[in-house]
Order: sequence, then C-alpha cells, then structure tokens
Amino acid sequence: MSSPKVQLRLNGIRKSFPGKEAATQVLDGLTFDIHERDFVSIIGPSGCGKTTVFNIIAGLVDPDDGVMLYRGQEVESLRGRVGYMMQKDLLFPWRTVLDNVLLGLETKGIDPKRALDTAREYLSTFGLSGFENAYPKALSGGMRQRVALIRTLVLDPDILLLDEPFSALDYQTRLYLEGILMEAVETFHKTVILVTHDIDEAVALSKRVVVLSQRPARVKAVHDIALNEHSPIAARSDPRFSGYFHTLCAELDIQTRKSA
Amino acid sequence: MTETAQIAKTAAPARPREKKRRNVFDSLIGRSALQILAVVGFFLLWEAAVRWGWLSAFLVGQPSGVLRNLIGSIANGSLFTDTGFTIFEAILGFAFGTVIGSVIGLALWYSIFVARLVEPFIAAINSVPKIALAPIIILWFGTGLLSKVALAISLTSIVALITAYQAAKDADKDLQALLFSMGASKQHIFKRVIAPSTLPAIIATFRINIGFALVGAVVGEFISSQHGLGHVIYVASSLYDLNTVWAGLFTLMLVGFLFYHLVEVTERWLLPWKQQQGGTQINV
Repeated sequence: MSSPKVQLRLNGIRKSFPGKEAATQVLDGLTFDIHERDFVSIIGPSGCGKTTVFNIIAGLVDPDDGVMLYRGQEVESLRGRVGYMMQKDLLFPWRTVLDNVLLGLETKGIDPKRALDTAREYLSTFGLSGFENAYPKALSGGMRQRVALIRTLVLDPDILLLDEPFSALDYQTRLYLEGILMEAVETFHKTVILVTHDIDEAVALSKRVVVLSQRPARVKAVHDIALNEHSPIAARSDPRFSGYFHTLCAELDIQTRKSA
Repeated sequence: MTETAQIAKTAAPARPREKKRRNVFDSLIGRSALQILAVVGFFLLWEAAVRWGWLSAFLVGQPSGVLRNLIGSIANGSLFTDTGFTIFEAILGFAFGTVIGSVIGLALWYSIFVARLVEPFIAAINSVPKIALAPIIILWFGTGLLSKVALAISLTSIVALITAYQAAKDADKDLQALLFSMGASKQHIFKRVIAPSTLPAIIATFRINIGFALVGAVVGEFISSQHGLGHVIYVASSLYDLNTVWAGLFTLMLVGFLFYHLVEVTERWLLPWKQQQGGTQINV
C-alpha cells in the first residue's frame, strides 16, 4: 500500500487553561496526522483533553502553540468546514426536524429552495421522511441523534468531528446508529475523527486509533486497525477484534495504574 | 410515561376499576360550576351580611349597589370611556416598556464589556420603587395620557430588560458553539440561538408586565387625572362611595384577567414547540 495522503496534520499543539492557582496544561505538544478518508478514533483517560482537541480543530478554542496543516496549508482552524457532533444531540427545540437539518445550510447562505430539496432528500435517505414537521421533543433519543447526524452530513463537511456521539444511547440503538454512520461515511466519502470512551466502538469503527496519555495529553501510541469489515456487528465478530481490544485496554490500564 | 403506565397495569391487576375513579368535579364543567358557585356564594353572603346588619354598607359597600352602579355606568357609557382610557394607557406602557426593555436587554448580549459596565446601574435603577417616581413623572409629563404611559414604562421596561439580558446570558452555550463551528457570525448566532431561546422568558415577562402596566396606569390616575378607572376609584373612595370603588375594582380585575388570557393565547401561538401533549404533572 502506498503511503496515504495526509489531510490534516496537527503539529505540537499546546493548550493550557487558566485555573484558580496555576494554569492547567491540557495538551502538551499534540502531534498526529489524519489521512484522506481516514477514520481515526481518539481514546484516552477521561479528562485528558480529547474534547479540547476538537474545539481547537473547530475553531472554538485557540491553541497556545503549534500549527495545523490542512492538505499542506497552514490553517488557523477548520471552522465552517467541519461537521461537529456531540454527545448531546443539540437539536434546536424551537425548530422542527426539517428546520434543524436546514440550520447549517442557512448558516452557509445556500439558496433556500435548493437547501430545502437537499434537506428533504437526506431525511428520506435516512428514513425520517414523515417527521419533517415534528419537534425534537416528540422524537426518541436514537431518532434525535439521527437527525443530528443528518444535520452534520448535509453540510458536506471536509471532516466529521464526532465527540462521543452515541454514548448516551442504549446499546442496541448505538449499534444501529454506528451502522448508519459507517454507511454514510462510505457513501459520502467522509473523513471522520471520533472521540470515544468506548474501546469496543473505537476498534469496530476505526481504521486507526490514537491513544492519548493522561493530562497534559500527548500522543501515546497510534494503532492501525486492520479488520476486514467495519460494519459494527461484523467487525465485532472478526477474530482479530479481541486482540486489538486487549491491546488498547492494556494501553489505558497502564495509565490508570500510574495515576493511582 | 408508557413505562409507568405499564408498571401500573402489572402492579395492580386485580383492583376493581371503580376504586380509581376520579373526582366527579375534576372536569372543565365541574370546575367551572364550583368556581361560579364560590363567586355567587361569596356575593350572596356579602349581600346578606349587609342586609342583616352584620356589616356596614357604608364601609364595605353592597353587591346589589355595585351591580346597580355598574349597570348605570354602562348605560351612560362612562364605564367604557374610563375603562378605555386605562386600557389604552396600560397597553401603551406595556408595549413600549416591554419592547424597549427587551431590546436593551438583548443588545447587552452583544458586548460583555458594556454589560458588565452597566450591570450595577441596572441593579440600582431596579432597586428604586418605581411608584416613588410618580410625582416627578407627573411633573415632567403633565397630567394627561403621557404621564401614565411613562409611569407604566418605568415599571415594565426594567423587568423586561433584566429578564431578557439574563435569558440571553443563559442561552445554551453548546448550541452557540455548534453554530460557530459551522462558521456562523455573531449576528447569525443572535438570530438563530439567542433570540429564539430568550423568547419564552420574554413572554413570561408579558404576564408580569401586564400587571405592572395596569399598576402604572392606575397609580398615575390616582395622582392626577380626569378619566380612567383609577380616577373613578380614587374620587369615589374620597366620597366614601364604596359601591363605585368596587365597580371600578371589579372592572380592573376583569381587564387584568382578560389581558392574562391574551398573553396565554399569544404564548401558544409564538411557542408552538413548547406545547405539551397531555399533562406532565405526575398524578400523585
């Protein structure tokens, strides 16, 4: 296999937040690459700054130091080019399902008529036609997160930033949504960075897993996951699955012991 | 909801249905009947107490007298004129006060610097009992319509301002972050997150401000006026004409009541996403 092209490179990203007495160093020279059409999971002990990485990429937080290169060009952030999805579905309660999906398109200033057509098309692709005029309150957790996923995809972002998007859902719904996500990523050729607590999810979905250390976070290891299938259920039944799973667990376990 | 329903079904299967029967009066008609009964009973008791000499008609008035008074003032049209004046003053005060207050409150969201700068001044203005301003306001704005409206504005605008500003500050940060990551400008975030998420709070101030606007109008009329329900009440009470006082008060009550319901209708219309399907209060 030829060496894959780098889409996004984070180089020496540092960030500390002011605290009561001393500043808390959160990211300590974080460096890793995201390839074109990559699926990278970021795992690490809780509170290690995984969400801060996303906030820096999305432009919500400025790094103290370090550079970001997008396809070789230095960029300040990928604001406006990422699809950020969080654990909370963050649907706007005063907007109907359709209007929620339209949110990003409106922000981008896309012609309302075309935006409407696109939104309806996506909703029907993801089996949500008939719910266009429902308010989020009336939907189940899984459906709400599906709407959030559509809202993210409909913008056609360069990179999807998924911050534990399924961790609030029950296992069945999660498997189902993982399946939908993988299908969508295939269909729309998306690059994905997934922050997760769930090693099982990281192994099943990713091509590569970046392991972060305890705070201040550095990249501890990057593992290639070579499973034949990345559909959530097939991947979990792959004979190599448990090998990866244990390697990554061990990787995190060592850190827990250190901290204790 | 469905879960509790299921539990209820499995937990108490054998009990006969009749035991869980609801209160027969717990329906719209039942409740209305009880409410009307209470009102009629109250007035009958009052009337009887005056007629049998337990209460002095001079000091508390008499329902039959109040009714005669109301009919008389309806017949000569003065009730409508006075009520019209008071309503007009209150509505102007309410509308201007709420709009001015809400706009300033929301505008403060735009600049944290300005907001922090003016916060103590807002607190100071808020702590002044606005009614105490009434004499100055009459001095400045005269004895006509303007002074009543100004008094109502002084009461309503500060409530709207503080509520709108607080609600804008409390608007969901994650929703703002999400829009920002999509590349939205500050105006976009204001229009799509701040404005809609403060709307419920602003509408909640309608309820309070309807009352305050009426207070402003009536107090203004007490101090100096030629028309209005406040004028009627004030003049009548100085003449010990308790029946006229009550007629004015009941009319005011009716006006406030109607306004309150108008706010509810407005709320339902403006906030369709807040409407409940079925009751949410747990039946303990």
